Amino acid sequence: MTAEQGGVPRFVAPLVGGATVLIVLAVTCLAVLVSVRNASERLLRPEAERPQVAVAEHAEVAYCTPRFKEVLERVLHSCGLTEQGGRRGCRPADVKTFASISDDDFNALFTPLKERGAVLMFDVGKEELDEGARKLLRDRWMERRGARYFFVVARASKTGTQAKNRALSHRRANSVMYFVKELAKSDPDVDKKVGLLWLGNEFAQLSKEYCNWPNSRPDKKCDEDAINRTAFVSWIDCRL
Amino acid sequence: MLGPNSRLPAAIALLGTILGLIFAANSTLDYAAHLDRRLHDVHCSYIPGAPAKAEAESCRAAMYSPYSAVLKDSYWGGIPVTLFALGSFAFFGGFCLYLLIAGQRAPAVAVGFFAAVSLTPSMVSLYMAIISVVKLGVICEICVGIYVSSALVSLGGILGLFTLRPFPPAPDGSAAPRRPAMSFLFPIAWLAALGFTTLLPSVVYASSVPDHRPYLKKCGELKRADADKDQLIKAASPRAVRSATLFEDPLCVTCRSLHDRMVDEGILDRLSLRLVLFPLDSDCNWMLDRPMHPGACTLSKAVLCGRERALQVLQWAYDEQEYLTRAGKRNDATVRAVIQERWGSDMISCIDAPETKARLNSHLHYASDNNVPVSTPQVFLTKQRLCDEDTDIGLRYTLDQLAPEVLR
Repeated sequence: MTAEQGGVPRFVAPLVGGATVLIVLAVTCLAVLVSVRNASERLLRPEAERPQVAVAEHAEVAYCTPRFKEVLERVLHSCGLTEQGGRRGCRPADVKTFASISDDDFNALFTPLKERGAVLMFDVGKEELDEGARKLLRDRWMERRGARYFFVVARASKTGTQAKNRALSHRRANSVMYFVKELAKSDPDVDKKVGLLWLGNEFAQLSKEYCNWPNSRPDKKCDEDAINRTAFVSWIDCRL
Repeated sequence: MLGPNSRLPAAIALLGTILGLIFAANSTLDYAAHLDRRLHDVHCSYIPGAPAKAEAESCRAAMYSPYSAVLKDSYWGGIPVTLFALGSFAFFGGFCLYLLIAGQRAPAVAVGFFAAVSLTPSMVSLYMAIISVVKLGVICEICVGIYVSSALVSLGGILGLFTLRPFPPAPDGSAAPRRPAMSFLFPIAWLAALGFTTLLPSVVYASSVPDHRPYLKKCGELKRADADKDQLIKAASPRAVRSATLFEDPLCVTCRSLHDRMVDEGILDRLSLRLVLFPLDSDCNWMLDRPMHPGACTLSKAVLCGRERALQVLQWAYDEQEYLTRAGKRNDATVRAVIQERWGSDMISCIDAPETKARLNSHLHYASDNNVPVSTPQVFLTKQRLCDEDTDIGLRYTLDQLAPEVLR
């Protein structure tokens, strides 16, 4: 090897080139190794600040107060909704017992459902749903959104015997249930969704102000008698 | 014209290798960082060495694509191709420096060898660029950086050939200087060295990647199988060998890239699908307090209305996702107008039908019954949920472990 132009020995160029390859390669491999090893170590350690992802759940809205949910839960348990093969529906005597709640407080619980729910009106002494009631019930049923339970609270009349009223109220609740089952043909679990309550005239009768709620006969006269010949229906956006 | 003494070609090639090393190193280290199964920012800029960022759709799409790595069935995430780039750029860097320092004393064989091998990074880059455009529909910024670097290396190599012209005679009449002769065995040795340097980083990477098998089944299961009441979309080709449930949102970018990858890799064809539409849009999805993907509810209904063409409608939504996303941000009427233009007014009537709304609602209730995370996409192999990280760069490895029949 001899020094040539510029005084740089001939061996310098290949030496620098070769050394560069080795150095860059070594640095590269080391960086790769360190990076993979670091990732492996992190893999063994739980992530402290792992972003929490929400989990899909049924809806839970503001009116789901502890009191509301307490009554709801009692209704669901007592009316057989949450148990396989349980009894379907509750009679007014049951409601009084399990809800431990006054008439007004019971009705007040449903006030937040004014727009979500609807009042299906019946003719005197009848339990058949007319076309308006069917349409309203269909509309409300389709507006399920994130709700888990559908509630039906049927009433009969402010007058008449308790036994007759209870029977009529029961039939009205069943009318609603039959129609709901028609609407939800593909859903074998519809029984687990719909909670039925039928009240006689001894508990939680409605005052005339409930005539302002969405109902199936908006063009007809509504008074205290009419508003208690009804079934109130609504999806309930609460988790239990 | 370049004279025999010019060092410009070697300088250009050296610049290309330095840039190539920076871009390839950033990309490789990003890839390696993801071996911890966490989310990381990625480098995605035309500027070499620019900091990593969270918003890097094009680079993530390239990273998650089947073309970003080899041996994806054998190693979680595979062996990233940028490792080969790193190794070869290391060789080219040293060789350029040699040519730069040697100048006119560099043997013609060395200059010719470099010109020949300097074309390889450009050829690979061209191949990858075509794949990016044709298959992925995106070009990632850091990839472009590597393409440009490769082009510079090739340019330097080709220009180097122009320096091989004979030296002009000396003014004093003495013999013109000549490049030294060199045995043709040298190029063979260099070629072997190039092969060795190209492979070595990959071997180091492959020998140190962690075992991901213990983590593959740790992301939950479906609580209940689907039933008729859930009204899910079902599709299966005659080649389907495994049932899978997918939760997708037509306006979710990650859903689109996962869906496209599964189509490209023939995975979707091997699955008996249950498709759950899970739009992240508060218009229909009560689990959100604001719309992440406005318009996704309407598009999901359009997919449902597609009936036997549901997957076709979904594919259309993915193909037109950027346009539809802009339409959704404007208002729902614009989304409807786009749908109507493509699928006709009957589709709009179906979208508005209460039954369609109820069906989409039943999909969302299926999600809540199973308490799945409020995120998309989600893949369940039969009941087993694939972790999010196993549906991106780890997809093939995970399938190879949990459902090898799907890959055969």
